[in-house]
Amino acid sequence: MRILDAILGKSSLPKAKMEKLFAISTASITLETSLGFRPGEAAGICFKPIESSRYDTARREVEDLLQYSCRETGTRYRVQKDDYDFLWVVLEDPEFEDLVTNVHLVSQTLVEHGFGEQLLCAIYRFTGKRQVYWVYNFKSGSYYPFAPKGDNKRDSSLEFRLRSIMDSELPMEKNVERWYPLWGIPL
Amino acid sequence: MKRKWQQDRGLQFRMIFTMFLLALVYLTFLAFLAYQGAGMMTMLIFAGGFMLLQYFYSDRLVLMTTGAKIVSESEEPELHQMITRLCAIADLPKPRVAVVDSPMPNAFATGRNPNNAVVAVTTGIRRQLNRSELEAVLAHELSHVKNRDVMVMTIASFLSTVAFFFVRYALIFGGGGSGRREGGGGIIIAWLASIIVWIVSSLLIRALSRYREFAADRGSAVITGQPSNLASALMKISGVMTRIPDDDLRKVEGMNAFFIIPAISKSSIMNLFSTHPSVEKRIAALEKIEQEMETL
Repeated sequence: MRILDAILGKSSLPKAKMEKLFAISTASITLETSLGFRPGEAAGICFKPIESSRYDTARREVEDLLQYSCRETGTRYRVQKDDYDFLWVVLEDPEFEDLVTNVHLVSQTLVEHGFGEQLLCAIYRFTGKRQVYWVYNFKSGSYYPFAPKGDNKRDSSLEFRLRSIMDSELPMEKNVERWYPLWGIPL
Repeated sequence: MKRKWQQDRGLQFRMIFTMFLLALVYLTFLAFLAYQGAGMMTMLIFAGGFMLLQYFYSDRLVLMTTGAKIVSESEEPELHQMITRLCAIADLPKPRVAVVDSPMPNAFATGRNPNNAVVAVTTGIRRQLNRSELEAVLAHELSHVKNRDVMVMTIASFLSTVAFFFVRYALIFGGGGSGRREGGGGIIIAWLASIIVWIVSSLLIRALSRYREFAADRGSAVITGQPSNLASALMKISGVMTRIPDDDLRKVEGMNAFFIIPAISKSSIMNLFSTHPSVEKRIAALEKIEQEMETL
């Protein structure tokens, strides 16, 4: 069906898959015990803003909900635009569970308003010998590791090691071609 | 292969010239085969073989004729990152990225499927457009990749070639004895009929191509969420922007006497022949998408 849609020029964007987002919660324990990567107390969610008043309403609601929820969990948050005009909600909290909850809240609200297709990714920072990120791709509903080395290079061997150890715990993006890098992550 | 922005004469000329040469080689070879007394099946197999070659080497062919150079991530970090993000949203594997050193604003995508795709931009388009406009153009090209336009257009032109030969053979040999007796007359009729089939099918292919452009524009609007960026990119590239005056009305008033109303009336025949819809129509379609996004 997707091929047929493509041939007719009607291909649409895949819907956001939310189910596996929470998998990072349990995986974070293994990451710490067997690899020595602690949760970096920060997470982010990145999406493409849209030109429409419906979107403005959705964004206001996201911020209202965030304000309320962050007061509850004691999370600090900020909303910022990056160099490519993508919007980031950056969350900071020593409690990893609260980060996951709030990331879920933001993405869920956007999906409910019909902007799930515009979700680029959710990112969790982990710190060990090096800073690594686990990136959640909403299109495939899977995670992949991203270890930037500075100067737009990535530490591929570390990424592959992370994959081989976490493969059983996290829904992993199988196709390494979809391990899209993200430079200039604001967290 | 998909081309954009009518403006780029040089690039367009090189492409058309290459296509012309290709067609010439192709037809000469087929004519030679026919002269040797090859049957219709053999001819069709050869025609199909040529199409397959063109299909499988489309990316290399286009890169060679346009002089586009594949650039690595370290050479063009910004361009790569823009494409990466758009691919993540559109759920596409990242294509190779190429740059053409040309002052003309242009961009194109090629490659037989998303895994072999190349997206190229000229240095000119990068200078003229701001970041969000360039992003909209890249999203348009990625939509061509997603819609598998190279495949669709190759199949469409193959079918038109098949139709061309079919009509020719049917008329020459189909009429049984009667065709033979008329001698030269029958062959001329066959030629005329096949030429008419060829013209009609190429008009249809052009219409199809225009439809695909609209589809890619829509794709760009959906991926970026901002149809107005593509609209303003189209206006800048086509020079419509320069038609929006910058001069103060009071200053212009004094010169009004010298103005000639530009007689730009596009005849419908031009629309029929062009592979890209007019910028005005594309912008109107984008405006409609924008309204849809507002009310949905």
